[in-house]
Amino acid sequence: MDLVNNLALGFSVALSLKNLALCFAGCMVGTLIGVLPGVGPIATIAILLPITFGIDPTGALIMLAGIYYGAQYGGSTTAILVNIPGEATSVVTTLDGHQMAKQGRAGVALGIAAISSFMAGTVATLVIAALGAPLTKLALLFGPAEYFALMVMGLVFATVLARGSILKAIAMILFGLLLSTVGTDLESGQERLTLGIQDLSDGVDFAVLAMGLFGFAEILRNLESPETRDVVRGKIGNLLPNWADFKQAFPAIARGTGLGAILGILPGNGAVLGPFASYTVEKKIAKDPRRFGRGAIEGVAGPEAANNAGAQTAFIPLLTLGIPPNAVMALMVGAMTIHGIIPGPQVMTKNPELFWGMIASMWIGNLMLLIINLPLVGLWVKLLKVPYRLMFPAILIFCCIGIYSINNNPADVLATAFFGLIGYTLIKLGFEPAPMLLGFVLGKLMEEKLRQALILSRGSFMTFVERPISATLLFIAVAMLALALLPSIRKSRDEVFTE
Amino acid sequence: MPVGEDSAMGAKRSGIGIRAPQDALAGVFLIAVGVTALVLGADLPMGTLRSMGAGMLPKSLAVMVAAAGVLLLISAFLADGAGLERWHLRGPIFILGSVAVFALTIRTLGLAFAGPLAMLVSCFAADDVRWKEAIIFALAMTAFCIILFKVLLGLPIPVIAFL
Repeated sequence: MDLVNNLALGFSVALSLKNLALCFAGCMVGTLIGVLPGVGPIATIAILLPITFGIDPTGALIMLAGIYYGAQYGGSTTAILVNIPGEATSVVTTLDGHQMAKQGRAGVALGIAAISSFMAGTVATLVIAALGAPLTKLALLFGPAEYFALMVMGLVFATVLARGSILKAIAMILFGLLLSTVGTDLESGQERLTLGIQDLSDGVDFAVLAMGLFGFAEILRNLESPETRDVVRGKIGNLLPNWADFKQAFPAIARGTGLGAILGILPGNGAVLGPFASYTVEKKIAKDPRRFGRGAIEGVAGPEAANNAGAQTAFIPLLTLGIPPNAVMALMVGAMTIHGIIPGPQVMTKNPELFWGMIASMWIGNLMLLIINLPLVGLWVKLLKVPYRLMFPAILIFCCIGIYSINNNPADVLATAFFGLIGYTLIKLGFEPAPMLLGFVLGKLMEEKLRQALILSRGSFMTFVERPISATLLFIAVAMLALALLPSIRKSRDEVFTE
Repeated sequence: MPVGEDSAMGAKRSGIGIRAPQDALAGVFLIAVGVTALVLGADLPMGTLRSMGAGMLPKSLAVMVAAAGVLLLISAFLADGAGLERWHLRGPIFILGSVAVFALTIRTLGLAFAGPLAMLVSCFAADDVRWKEAIIFALAMTAFCIILFKVLLGLPIPVIAFL
């Protein structure tokens, strides 16, 4: 069977001593940075990107995937122990997880989070392996019009699922798309919007933008809002949940995994919905909903499973179609491009070792997280107490070295400072920078596909509605946008994100 | 959002005029971005839909960004929204300044000097800085970075540039 053969190939790559070590190192440093309060997965990957530069592409991607899972898991640890969610998806974990911690059951909360993440990760790995090949075949059937429509749909999903005003999210995507047009036009060779600056003729560097927006601007944001760290005092307690806990949590894990895996596949940031959906479902079907918010173990297990499943299946649109569904995946695209790999359907056919090796390493990474995290909880707790006055200079120097190392060009470092200023301005004006990064990454590909589609159709926009797949995708996009703008749904959307 | 839900912040403002200052400024910012892009790209040929010129997409996007700005600005007059946040100068000056210091010294002095220098400049941005601790930490962190990036990962970053 293909699936078995492919996975066997993947494991033979991922289980080499070097790749195991890289996966381990990735999970380790990912958790190490991700656990720091105020540093979410996007910032973690941006900060740690440079340490993968000297490694071969397969190893680098395995390490990056490890960093990503580590950062996700570190975020849950912070959510449970300090009540600070690293990103939107771990908001839900703070609700019951921190309550459990306050009741002296921090260990059980961390343990069940690790176990449910691992179980969800196992299922998600199988889903990716099973869907990877067929979806890649489907992707090869896509013409430029379909690709363009798919990306439009992805961006619409991303705006609908972003926090805050939809208009502002759309504006950010457009801003990102506009930034992506800076540089030499590939068709005509003309310089566009470069101000005559030599360094801009290749366009704005992705890493420069990402580190400016998520490295430096985040530091500025954090310095201004003195955090209230509510680190759990006292004992962490037993890490392993007892049988009763597990019996209570298991159905929640199964449901959370299913929900998260399905939502994660959606182009557009579907993964972010997983934990919210899971929490809502668990609360609805619970015999005694009042337990939720007071340390219900299902309230940790379900959302954590959904979070991890979604975090992993979000790789599907990236690996099969080459379309990143959210800002974290956009960062993975940037990382892959730096290593000379253009994500898309051709990766699987041209680089099967890389493709399947990465998928196998996802499962290994999840297993490693389970093993390294449980004994290291004490260390993470210590890290949570590192004051921000020491954290930010360290983050700063890492970012500086990282950007300099991409092209060995000090001008890149200055450009990053500029984007830090832009990011700070955006934050002050109430914009979320994440959709901008997504727009920026998709911009070049969208322009290329739009041009090709219009050449094929001799300049007629009708091609997008005449071709059935493209028409369906655009219809879904318009419908989603219309629904999201309806007043009643808008209200409940606000509630979802403020809960 | 319905107007009736007057928050404590909204109540302070008068009935007419700008009701969502943050959105108004955000709109102005977007308009400025769009107009700047239009001015910079003025010479780029639009081409036709059949064969798009270099200017087609940048200009269309610039118009769309500016249009989003106009909508945002209009909405700021129609409904109450968030007030302006306080802008601080200290953070941006010292954090981004320290990055600039790093950029300017990495080639001339090298990481061994650029590292501690940049980190110490950045410390001016924090309220609770303890200088002794900051100096020791900056030196230790730089040593760690040199070992990690130069020795272990082999990145071609100058450690002491003038030797």
